[in-house]
Amino acid sequence: MSRELVTIKGGKDGFRLLVDSSASMKEIEAEIKKKLDSNPGFFPEGTKFELEVADLDRSVKKGIDQLLSQHGFGVDNSPKQARRSISSQPASSNQNMQPESVVQEMMVLNRTIRGGEEITSQSSILICGNVNPGAQIIAGGSIDIRGTCRGMVHAGAWGDTNAVIIADRLMPTQVRIANMIARSPDTMEKSDFAERACIKDGQIIIEPIER
Amino acid sequence: MSEVIVVTSGKGGVGKSTTTANLGVGLAMRGQKVVLIDTDTGLRNLDLLLGLENRIMYDLVDVIEGRVEIKKALVRHKKFDNLQLLPTSQVKDKSAVNPADLMVLCDELRKEYDYVIIDCPAGIEQGFQTAIAGADTAIVVTMPEVSAVRDADKIIGELGRSEKDNIKLIINRIRPAMVESGEMMDMDDINDILAIKCIGQVPDDIKVVTSANRGEPVVGDNDSQAGRAYANIVGRLMGEDIPFMEFEKEGFFTKLKKAFGLKKNG
Repeated sequence: MSRELVTIKGGKDGFRLLVDSSASMKEIEAEIKKKLDSNPGFFPEGTKFELEVADLDRSVKKGIDQLLSQHGFGVDNSPKQARRSISSQPASSNQNMQPESVVQEMMVLNRTIRGGEEITSQSSILICGNVNPGAQIIAGGSIDIRGTCRGMVHAGAWGDTNAVIIADRLMPTQVRIANMIARSPDTMEKSDFAERACIKDGQIIIEPIER
Repeated sequence: MSEVIVVTSGKGGVGKSTTTANLGVGLAMRGQKVVLIDTDTGLRNLDLLLGLENRIMYDLVDVIEGRVEIKKALVRHKKFDNLQLLPTSQVKDKSAVNPADLMVLCDELRKEYDYVIIDCPAGIEQGFQTAIAGADTAIVVTMPEVSAVRDADKIIGELGRSEKDNIKLIINRIRPAMVESGEMMDMDDINDILAIKCIGQVPDDIKVVTSANRGEPVVGDNDSQAGRAYANIVGRLMGEDIPFMEFEKEGFFTKLKKAFGLKKNG
């Protein structure tokens, strides 16, 4: 079975349009039309599509733009980053992935994160201080809290299921890792040891650790 | 060296105005020149707690809009000549005063008084931003209750964003018996979450209510635990090192005496 030239995926804030960059504009046009017409009414007018292709030809981009706006859809041409691109040479894209994962950044905060604050980072986050109830920490990587965590923490927010959350006292309102959510029990116990939350066998588990 | 202090909390009903009135009277009793500013425009009540409602001629909005001089709007306290109140308007709303106005006013009053204490409205909107604008020190009042602590936390964050770094905490309306039995958050938990310097722990005391109705803050009353707690806070504000008091617990014998009518409540 040949790979589809155009794939539409539901995302967090709209739809993502993945296009095979080796295909010609004509092929793409036909494919998109087919997809949209096969299910009229599924995509409400004004739906935004995010183009998720890094190495697409400019003329092809423009063509897709026009085509979608004819149908009354919006296109976001500048996605934050091309997270996944269907490339005609998967091997080369794999090679590109490797150096990226080697370079690791970390955001360090040496203070208390109070209720109502939202800390978001593409990288991992290290907090030397408490995370109070009502605060939100969202990291692309892992989260390490040297203090008490009582807020909402989301590690691997862009899909990294290997991300972990560590805190000296882990008593958050909610733990989220990648696309999974776990909430704390209704009666929270005070933990006296550091704990780590991670995904194991398809669910979020919390285990004591030494450090 | 004078100090501009804002008393704030986020949540309503935790005792901002009561604290303001008590600190004002307490400082005045110690001979300091004090002015209290009510910034809760539209919901004025600091004058009631001080028993000065019937003496108000002009208010904060009149001063800001230049209708009268500051001196004319100040209401002198009945007992203490060195305590003045600048009441606010009951008919206007918070938009009548903006942060820059209050900063100018505070700098003006700072020249003549040792302490300028601002009573902040509840919430984190314009009224709050106005009230904190001119302050050097913020006193955050909270209660041993999850919602009050949550709001205090948010307020501390907001104060930090407005570059007010001198923040102190007063924990109000503590019920020692409930803390003892674990039904109420204890002081260590609150201090752990809020992580700012605590300068006062005030027990819940019916005398606070009765004295508010009379218009005489409880701070001068040595029979009242809350009165003594407020007097201690005044001392700490003036730089004294006073240990936190142990709360009197209702022991078996006091209960027994009460039951036989030997001891009056208190």
